[in-house]
Amino acid sequence: MTSAVEATFREEWPRAVAILTRVLGDLALAEDAVQDAFAKAIERWPRDGEPRSPGAWIVATARNGAIDRLRREQTFARKAELIARLQEMPAEEDADVSAIPDERLALLFTCCHPALGVEARVALTLREVAGLATPEIARAFLVPERTLAQRLVRAKRRVRETGIPFRVPPDHLLPERVPDVLRVLYLVFNEGYAATAGDALVRRDLCAEAIRLAKLLCVLMPDEPEAFGLLALLLLQDSRRDARIGRDGELVLLADQDRSLWDRAAIDEGLRVLRHAEALRRPGPYQLQAAIAAGHAEGTDPRLIADVYAALERLDPSPIVTLNRAVAIALAGDVPGGLALLDGVEGLDTYSYLHSARADLLRRLGRTEEAAASYREALALTDNAPERRFLERRLRELGRGGR
Amino acid sequence: MQYALLVYSDQSSWAELDADEAARRRAEAMPRWLAVFDEIGKADPDYSARELEAASEAKVVRIVDGERVVTDGPFAETKEQIGGFFLATLPDLDEAIRLASLVPASEYGSMEIRPIVER
Repeated sequence: MTSAVEATFREEWPRAVAILTRVLGDLALAEDAVQDAFAKAIERWPRDGEPRSPGAWIVATARNGAIDRLRREQTFARKAELIARLQEMPAEEDADVSAIPDERLALLFTCCHPALGVEARVALTLREVAGLATPEIARAFLVPERTLAQRLVRAKRRVRETGIPFRVPPDHLLPERVPDVLRVLYLVFNEGYAATAGDALVRRDLCAEAIRLAKLLCVLMPDEPEAFGLLALLLLQDSRRDARIGRDGELVLLADQDRSLWDRAAIDEGLRVLRHAEALRRPGPYQLQAAIAAGHAEGTDPRLIADVYAALERLDPSPIVTLNRAVAIALAGDVPGGLALLDGVEGLDTYSYLHSARADLLRRLGRTEEAAASYREALALTDNAPERRFLERRLRELGRGGR
Repeated sequence: MQYALLVYSDQSSWAELDADEAARRRAEAMPRWLAVFDEIGKADPDYSARELEAASEAKVVRIVDGERVVTDGPFAETKEQIGGFFLATLPDLDEAIRLASLVPASEYGSMEIRPIVER
């Protein structure tokens, strides 16, 4: 893609897909039309120059292409109706695209609808809202391109056949539907951040993509504090990316990280966004997690961080949160208290971090044999190379110091 | 879009109740069923709703090696059997889910939402 088309693409793809979906009532048809329009842009813009209003040009070209494509269809029950709707739609090549209603939020809610499987939601959001190409998404998730293409086709078919609505849910549904959207964006980020394998550069792009989507959500839902909470959390976590993995490819724990590698600009932005969220005065799980990440960035008293985990546990209880609270309590100085709480956590036996955290607390209490056993359990449960290097070194150190 | 909302429940537990108790429970649930009919009717005045005789009264027909075989009883040996259905044209899946969750059987049994194929 030429750079002019590429820049327009990132910005205008979801807008155009959303507008066409609104008119056609079908995500797959809309995507095809917008795809064709961008293909024409690649061909024409370098030759004829970039149009005055690239977004409007894309929408108008997609609409005209969709009309042509529908006319060629032999048997399609709703052909006449759809052509009429496309013809009615305002689409001037040099119109101001901001004059067309922004349907991107509806698109995001449709892609994140709970009637779709989680994998389908993630893939669909990356394809339709982030505008990633199928091979890019496939690479990021380490699945064959065919598999991912099928996943997208099935997801779009399900949207159509089960009647998943294309709209921003009404107010009474928002409290249950907003968390679905936030979760998909968080999953995208996590796939890039805590990846178990894969190309580092692709992973970094995925985190950047999640942050971009979270920013878009904040623009589209300026009164939703959890959207800002999520964005703050992602920025603060991402700020530590370069410090998380040491030069030898080993995982570096927060306390041991070289703080000069933290991205100060991202931290400042994260803190600003978090303050904005908190000013809306409706706390939620993402805001609390962001507050914890902010506490780490600012070197807050570990006891305060343990308190925020306690608040998070009340608001959104889960074994993972209890596990993290146990670690926070131990970091704040009460190692036996942390271990006791951690030993009460249920349902995480196959989660390597539970065992490595437990090993660490046992090590600090001088219970070397038990610590070694827990490190071995953690090792048996992870394929993540940096994590394995870290655990193996800890295990070696125990061997030297403990016997 | 047209949807079938299928009503599933454990009919054997109904069958075990004595007649008075069954009648009492039916009467108790009736206002809520009427409210459901009312709500679905608002979404689609031409909707239809049918209650089926118990699955134990069902006949299952198969052609095996060219021979017609008729057997008694439900097709599948699961506890929950289909006991009735609604057929309605609704704006979208969210509305179908909302209406299905109003049906009393969603509490003691389950509701299945099946979009009708459009060709």
